[in-house]
Amino acid sequence: MGDTIIKAEGVSKYYRLGSEGAGRFREDFGRWWKGAPRGEEAHIWALRDVSFEIAEGEVVGFMGANGAGKSTLLKVISRITQPTQGRVRGRGRVASLLEVGTGFHGDLTGRENIFLNGHILGMTRAEIVARFDDIVDFSGVSAFLDTPVKRYSSGMYVRLAFSVAAHLTPEILIVDEVLAVGDAEFQQRCLRKMKEVSSEGGRTVLFVSHNLQALRNLCQRAFLLEKGRLVATGEPGRIIARYLEKENVHFLRQAYDDPFSAPGNEVIRIKRVELIPQFVGSEAVIDIRTPLDLELEFWYTPPFAADLIVGIHLFSLAGDCIFDVSSPRTDVSAGVVSGRCAIPGNFLNDGSYYISIVFVNNTTTRLFYFEACLSFEVADYRENTSWYGKWIGHVRPDFPVRIFPSAEI
Amino acid sequence: MPEMNDWDWEIDAGRRWFRWELGDLGRYRDLLLRLVRRDLLANYQQTMLGAFWILLQPILTTLVYWVIFGRIVKVPTGSAPPLLFYLSGIIVWNFFSDCLNGTMYTFLTNAQMFNKVYFPRLIVPLSGVLAHGVRLGVQLVLFFGIYVYYAFSGAVPAPGLDWFLLPVFFLLTGLFGLGMGLAVSVLTARYRDLDYTLQFVLRLWMFASPVVYPAGLVHGALRPWFWLNPLTPLIEGFRAVCFGGAVDYTYLGVCAFVVILILVGGVSLFKRQERRLTDFI
Repeated sequence: MGDTIIKAEGVSKYYRLGSEGAGRFREDFGRWWKGAPRGEEAHIWALRDVSFEIAEGEVVGFMGANGAGKSTLLKVISRITQPTQGRVRGRGRVASLLEVGTGFHGDLTGRENIFLNGHILGMTRAEIVARFDDIVDFSGVSAFLDTPVKRYSSGMYVRLAFSVAAHLTPEILIVDEVLAVGDAEFQQRCLRKMKEVSSEGGRTVLFVSHNLQALRNLCQRAFLLEKGRLVATGEPGRIIARYLEKENVHFLRQAYDDPFSAPGNEVIRIKRVELIPQFVGSEAVIDIRTPLDLELEFWYTPPFAADLIVGIHLFSLAGDCIFDVSSPRTDVSAGVVSGRCAIPGNFLNDGSYYISIVFVNNTTTRLFYFEACLSFEVADYRENTSWYGKWIGHVRPDFPVRIFPSAEI
Repeated sequence: MPEMNDWDWEIDAGRRWFRWELGDLGRYRDLLLRLVRRDLLANYQQTMLGAFWILLQPILTTLVYWVIFGRIVKVPTGSAPPLLFYLSGIIVWNFFSDCLNGTMYTFLTNAQMFNKVYFPRLIVPLSGVLAHGVRLGVQLVLFFGIYVYYAFSGAVPAPGLDWFLLPVFFLLTGLFGLGMGLAVSVLTARYRDLDYTLQFVLRLWMFASPVVYPAGLVHGALRPWFWLNPLTPLIEGFRAVCFGGAVDYTYLGVCAFVVILILVGGVSLFKRQERRLTDFI
């Protein structure tokens, strides 16, 4: 890891709500003329005392609910808006990609817009000329280069716009939700490109997305924001688990079509991990009675013949390991391998959990650890009891405890 | 990690006057030129008359003014041929009002872009002024084409030494429009109700400047005030150089001083407010 490239110290951002945006000259002038002070106005702290350091070459993901301040933070670092307090210092060129196609002009041709958009994003003419052919190839719109972009389909438009952005070479790249556009195939290509940019280009990337798969896949470190405060930083899997807990959303399935962009490494690539609840009763709610079937599929390309062990680790959201179970040593050849693990009902207590999957070969060599890849919540269910307090313990197995009437003394 | 002091950039909460960051402008000069090109291409590529419109507009305006003010109201134009007289006033006035109008809505018309990407905001008004400068150039070709015709027929004097002043006049006109526009753009971003007032003021301003009549018509107590309008020495200076007459250097000096003052004020205000305004628009 390199030296610090961005350092934020106590960054806060205050927004006044309402009246100011729709200012009327007469009112403000009148107030000033009478010497009347501005009243106490409704306000919001979009960022509150955010401090962090990011090292050169790091890929950092920003997470948080809508309105948590992720986008505001990126806008402050991009020099689009000014912090109310604090400061951010950094080294190198910053390019921010908060949308694709900023400054595109419909009446101008694709060719003109490549230059226009490239310059707006901070590229010099020489840089664009040098990469022009790559940009055109990547976008796949070479046949329409001299057509005004207003005649493009929306897909072509987005592809051209992203291609320009993908060929930026700043030291720091700031990306906000741009992967949410375009068709699935193109999104895959963008993800691959982002990965290439960060790993081969050695560039620092700051990334906001609601796409947890992308975050998990691309980032080395994740930052979690809540109501403008930076509440947690660390390994993406763990931060995602914490975010999911806060947001009360769960992650029962991850699936990838393309082995290139799927999480994993040269030996293991995840195709699908899925938790399938076998619901009891009419409601589709996982409660303490619900058996859960874990299914997984992965691409396996072992460098040499060796046996494989797959282990399932179940954690509480607090990070305590509830169990660690694993498959027997199995000889498997290269190809798509599938696996299954049934977690019985009447076993886990109510609460939130996440699952990590470990792949080991040769008994001891850890091939890949797919951390916090699934998360779920178990609801409470009780019958024949009038006690409603919190049932303690991580597990709540259903084996009988009996008491016997005492013999009379 | 070692604490380093060699940061390239710093973002803080300060709002200082006179932090102009001119180095940034240099780094984005390719963008500046590209925006000028976009302006010209986008405006003229799609219209039926295309680039010809740049010439048609002042020609038609000149003809109308000539008929109304020359023939009907019978405003005297002195030694100048009426056609060139009106055209000169219209060219300078149009350049000024285009620069001002193009600059004073900078934040409103570019809100979308300013909210998504950073580049020195001054690039946008500068590119507008440069694009209007190109239009001015085309119109001046028309003007001097007609001038040559009159010069050969002896109606106007041949070019003299004082022609070196011509670029100065146009430069000051453009900078005046830019400076005013930058200052006003900060207001229009905050106060949407200013638009009508500004357009109204602009229309009155044209009649307070010697566009359709010569400055010589204004006498008495009003005269010093009339000449303090920076456009008066600029339009009259242009005419004096082309049609024979004395350039009023005193008022030209005052005009240059006022223009520079307004430009410095405008740029400072703009730079001080540019990032804050993103939150309003």
